[in-house]
Amino acid sequence: MSQKEATRISRRAFLSLAGATAGAVAAAAVSAATAPEARAAAPAAAPAWESRYSVCDMCFNRCGLIARVENGVIVKLDPNPRFTKSRGMLCARGNAGVAQVYDPERLKTPLLRVGERGEGRWKAISWDEALDLAASKMKDIGAKHTRCGMLFSAGADMQSGFVSRFAEAFGSFNVTSHESLCLLSGNRAFVDTFGDVPLPDVKNSKYVILAGANRLEALVTPDSMDLVSIMQKGAKVVVLDPRYTKSAALASEWHPIRPGTDMAFMLALAHVIIQEKLYDAKYMAERTSGLDRLAAHVADKTPAWAEGETGIPAADIQRMARELAAAAPAAMVYPGRRSSDYENSTQIRRSFAIVNALLANYDRPGGLVPARPAGLKKAAPFEPPWYDDNPPGRVDAKSVPLLFDDEGSFVLTREAVLKGAPYPVKGWFVYKTNPMATAPERRKTREMIDKLDFMVVVDIAMSDTAWMADLVLPAPSGLERQDPVQALQAGAEGACLVWRDPVIAPLHQSRPVFDILKALAGRLGFPEAFDFDIAGYRRQQLAAFPEAEAILKRDGVFYPPNAPLGGTDGQPFKTPSQKIELYCSRYADLGLDPLPVYAPPKPSPDAARNFRLVAGRSACVTQGSSTNNGLLSEFEPENTLWLNEEAAGELGIRQGDVVQVQSPAGRGELRALVTPKIRKDTVYMLSGFGTLSGGLSHTTGVGASIVELLESRFDAICGNSAIHETYVSVKKKGAA
Amino acid sequence: MKRRSIGIVAALILVLAAVSLALAEGNARKGKYLYRSKCRTCHGSSASDLSPNSKVQADWKKTFAKWEGVKCAKEWKDISPEDRTDIYTYLHDYAKDSPTPAKCN
Repeated sequence: MSQKEATRISRRAFLSLAGATAGAVAAAAVSAATAPEARAAAPAAAPAWESRYSVCDMCFNRCGLIARVENGVIVKLDPNPRFTKSRGMLCARGNAGVAQVYDPERLKTPLLRVGERGEGRWKAISWDEALDLAASKMKDIGAKHTRCGMLFSAGADMQSGFVSRFAEAFGSFNVTSHESLCLLSGNRAFVDTFGDVPLPDVKNSKYVILAGANRLEALVTPDSMDLVSIMQKGAKVVVLDPRYTKSAALASEWHPIRPGTDMAFMLALAHVIIQEKLYDAKYMAERTSGLDRLAAHVADKTPAWAEGETGIPAADIQRMARELAAAAPAAMVYPGRRSSDYENSTQIRRSFAIVNALLANYDRPGGLVPARPAGLKKAAPFEPPWYDDNPPGRVDAKSVPLLFDDEGSFVLTREAVLKGAPYPVKGWFVYKTNPMATAPERRKTREMIDKLDFMVVVDIAMSDTAWMADLVLPAPSGLERQDPVQALQAGAEGACLVWRDPVIAPLHQSRPVFDILKALAGRLGFPEAFDFDIAGYRRQQLAAFPEAEAILKRDGVFYPPNAPLGGTDGQPFKTPSQKIELYCSRYADLGLDPLPVYAPPKPSPDAARNFRLVAGRSACVTQGSSTNNGLLSEFEPENTLWLNEEAAGELGIRQGDVVQVQSPAGRGELRALVTPKIRKDTVYMLSGFGTLSGGLSHTTGVGASIVELLESRFDAICGNSAIHETYVSVKKKGAA
Repeated sequence: MKRRSIGIVAALILVLAAVSLALAEGNARKGKYLYRSKCRTCHGSSASDLSPNSKVQADWKKTFAKWEGVKCAKEWKDISPEDRTDIYTYLHDYAKDSPTPAKCN
């Protein structure tokens, strides 16, 4: 058995461990039901396990779960049936959460780098040594480069808010989240159109257009489940995607749209709806601004024109516009989540928002609904200090016109660190986010790290980002932690509140980031910013709901009162005109296009690079954080390059051949998946493979890294990463 | 690639010139600090709860143009004009209808 095989948890062994008791119970139940003589037998023994509520941590969805714990060991994770946001389900990743907890490769102790960066030579040190070192390095950087010389990055986690709090108490404006590598273009577009970021109420919808969203694999609860349920009840789901995804396979219809042309499709929908007056005229007059300008703007954006751009037949576009309007307001262009596609993704998503506005679906069942008040109170208020020597703003401030100030732009922050301008950033605190595996152009992230004097990473596993750090601190998994209350939204059903209590004691020497930050705050002279514990913090958060604590303990979830839809009727929208801005006055003021102006996708600048590389998901992969999971890697052992069979034939590439993929950013080698399920001009691969870390045995040296290939493009309005702008060349390994 | 980047930078400079006109003149970051240390001492406990998100930009503009008329004006007398501008900038730039509305619970 190879070393790699030896370190992998055997799936069979896991299932036998996890399923032994359940299997025995099930077998007893079946025999009781089928064999009359067994009826007199004693009832099956209850499982020996204790059941403890928690919330999944395998992606951002936070689905409620019940951990079955036997002798202090988690043997199985089950969905929490009272957690309606996931419709009482737990996906493959959620089930595999056990393998994350017991991953033999987990970080076990603080590690200090003793070799060159990326060389993988570490020395185990004590927590006191580690915290003293981190505090002294941060203090030195603050003194030498101002407090803004420290950058803080945290991923989606129930304790990430504490990292932002620490940054503010420390005095740095430089905080980035994962979101500028994901969803900010969509948020920008909807804030600038509706004044907020509404949520899709899929459950009550009769017609959904999924443009580039593969919701049946890139899971978002409850949307993924609801799409299936509504189709069973007769709703129509249309998928536009250059790939025949699982969403496409199950949808009512699929159109293999030419990548980068979604806006043309949306403008043509708007054209038909306006030309044929399929909208609610009273609603448009009262609640929107700029209809006349929009009408003029789309006057020549006919379905026939859009057919030429998108490849979708004009008759189909016209039909879909009519069907969509007929189903309105219980109809939607699904707003999507990841919108980090093109340099004009904000404008593309504006066109999505505009079609939704024409459907008058805001705050209506089956449409787009505002996030509902969760009723959480602000906990542990504090007064951060002010440092007059700090620069005026974030290091990426004003690099694009409409940056989200609390999210920033990772790509532009990285650019600023590389240049050392407008001011030097020399320290990086990273918590549970992995830009070495998620930010385009990996070599640039690597170069950025070389500019730093000190980098500390807190994580569960030795991610590629941790692998490059000076100091690595082991964090417990979600199942070993006490976490603050978090509000989660589920369309029209509104908010639910969850928290976590440890279902087992923390393994190894791991410490939650809250404890780490609290210890650092003490060493750095601002203990008052963390002068509380999580139990007390939660009590303050729940001050409006005295009954919530007992209910959370009883049910694992608490539902605050949820007002019916329509509560915003008659209220002004949070936009400058107080209406839904079809014509965006803010953009007009800023010299940006106030209506989305279509430009055909730019052709490849290099004839040899004739494939557009697109990103996407498998239901078993959460980027770099689940591909090394012992169970999930059996479903997705490596990534492949989806290559159209005709294109493959022309290149002499056969199923399973190793191909070399190259872009101006870098190169990679992986096996080809020759398939009719993708357009001839497009290739696709999963993220999370081709890693560098010596602590990721399932993915290091396996497949290719997508971030090695992606170029560092960004959304010109909000700085979100633009990861569909890269063209690559593909050839069979060894071919001339 | 380089030429393209220069093009983008040139376009951004034009846009950013417009942005700086659209935003208020003070230091919003310092304004946030000052707001917390000088306004939140009452607002949120003994006075009405308040955040940038409580008003639209135009209302913040009106309030600060005639700040002498607000109920707690006598509490403002120790706040320098520069600090007032910074507080205004924070409230205005993160207002309910601003491009980056302050988050509330």
